[in-house]
Amino acid sequence: MPSSRQRSLRTWLFWAVPVLLLLTPLATNAYTQFIINGMLISILVTLGFTLVIGNLGQLAFANTAFFGIGAYASAILSAKMGLPWIMTIPLAGALGALGGFLASSAALRGIRSYYLAIITLAFGELMRWAYLHTKPLTGGTDGLPLPRETMFGISLSDDTLKFYIFLAVTVVLVKATLNLLRSRFGRAVMAVRENEVATASLAIPTARVILTTFIWSGFVVGCAGALFARHVGHVFPESFGMLHLIASFAMVLVGGLGSVLGAVLGAVILTALPEYLRAFPGMEELFFGLIVAAVLVAMPMGLASLLRRLSPIFVERYYREES
Amino acid sequence: MLMQLTLGGFAQGAIYALIALSLTVVYRSTTVVNFGHGDFVMAGAFLSYVLVVLAGIAFLPAAVLAMLAMFVLGVFFSKGLIRPIRGGPHIGLALMCISAGYILRGIARMVWGREVLPMPPVFDIEPIFLGNLVITGDAVFIIGTVFVLLVVFFGLLGLTDLGKMVQAVYQSPRGARLIGLNVERFNDFSWGVGAALGALGGILVAPISLLHPDLGASFLIKGFAAMTLGGFGSLGGAVLGGILLGLAEQYAGAYIDSALIEITAYVVIVLVLFIRPHGLFGRKAVVKV
Repeated sequence: MPSSRQRSLRTWLFWAVPVLLLLTPLATNAYTQFIINGMLISILVTLGFTLVIGNLGQLAFANTAFFGIGAYASAILSAKMGLPWIMTIPLAGALGALGGFLASSAALRGIRSYYLAIITLAFGELMRWAYLHTKPLTGGTDGLPLPRETMFGISLSDDTLKFYIFLAVTVVLVKATLNLLRSRFGRAVMAVRENEVATASLAIPTARVILTTFIWSGFVVGCAGALFARHVGHVFPESFGMLHLIASFAMVLVGGLGSVLGAVLGAVILTALPEYLRAFPGMEELFFGLIVAAVLVAMPMGLASLLRRLSPIFVERYYREES
Repeated sequence: MLMQLTLGGFAQGAIYALIALSLTVVYRSTTVVNFGHGDFVMAGAFLSYVLVVLAGIAFLPAAVLAMLAMFVLGVFFSKGLIRPIRGGPHIGLALMCISAGYILRGIARMVWGREVLPMPPVFDIEPIFLGNLVITGDAVFIIGTVFVLLVVFFGLLGLTDLGKMVQAVYQSPRGARLIGLNVERFNDFSWGVGAALGALGGILVAPISLLHPDLGASFLIKGFAAMTLGGFGSLGGAVLGGILLGLAEQYAGAYIDSALIEITAYVVIVLVLFIRPHGLFGRKAVVKV
């Protein structure tokens, strides 16, 4: 456990990172800025995912669905209903949270482990089918472009402006998740993962804990979806398929299951690398597949487990090293 | 019309049954659900394509070779990647299976790119006309192969010592170990059998559909749907679930809307899990504290 001096150092470090990041647009070109924006989105996706599979310990693969719901919600609300995009972020988050509620209702009906994995996979694929077959709303295979928009007189296609908005959303959501995990509620989440029956016997409402974690995960990932819609400017059904799922797995695992710091690290590392592989068909799948297999065998608790050995500053209380 | 749909449903259902059965074989002996199984099916189909079209081998020997190759792959997957993380959480095992599937898919896509490959027709049998009913060679061949295979499979399980060993390992791996069964090797063997049976599913579909690296994903979901419907862990249930799913797809597609064919499996999964989670023949899950 870190000492109080180390804890204040940690808080200081936490805020230093985004403040320093404010300067990045000075040192980047349009392409690197685009990649960095993508990293911020991946951080949120990975964070939402690790909450459910790492912290709560449920085999739920619905996060790709939450992501798609958020992105389509944002695109539809701004393209068809004329809402300003910035307003669609919380709404997309709310719809993602609704998706989380649906996924958790399966978990609460006693559908667990493999059954939960299968039903959430089916949920994701059903959503993709829905995007393809509701053409008037989603544009089907052609996808849905986001309208041109300006904020403070700057076009929203400007990557620097997007960067500041994305950074703000990411920092708020990461900090909120950290606070949530540090609370009494966070302890309950960990207790449910370790032993649900024992947790219930301590008069902790396990059903409510599971429900809330799913909803928060859906909210975070739904917001990420709204950012993603603006990031690429045009949502397609293919963006929310299986490749996105394996990429999120890889990010969660490389960083460390159930670690917030790990989610950030995994997302940052694995967003940049595959950009170079995109030109070769199949390489991305092979790459992520090999990474996940290698991490599972050689480093099951990910990079976060290495960092915490380096310095107590990186110790997260609700992240378990031994499996 | 109804008869034609039923025949088509049986042919599709036979393949789903095979895939669900191969998933169940692995699940029963190792308690691992192979989330990469669709890609094993795809790999079987691609291997048979390579052997038939590129190496010029006849279809039947090519099918046997492809199944053997997939058996070996399954055994090595079990030995090399599943065993090291056996004791760990289930989530790791599920992720390992998924990543293995992606590796296979990535390899297929690297070799074939984004092409869609047609397999030359293998069953050059004249269709038989019975009144309005057209019985194609494919349907006869698929249903016949799966039927023979099921007879052999259940015969082996029910009548031989091997079948008793399978049952022993399923009921209690620890007890099986105590009476001198090599459970580890048995698990490797099950993975091999599962991979080979799944590959056969792919081989049977190959001549009647187009091959592409994403072939597996839909078969995985269909296998799951069949397995869920029949009841997790029940071998007979997997077969029956597969046939019922095949029929349901055909009927829903013809009588309601053809777009429904793709999502029948998902709907089945969701409905079964919400209404009767242990399926038709599965054992009710009992939580032991």
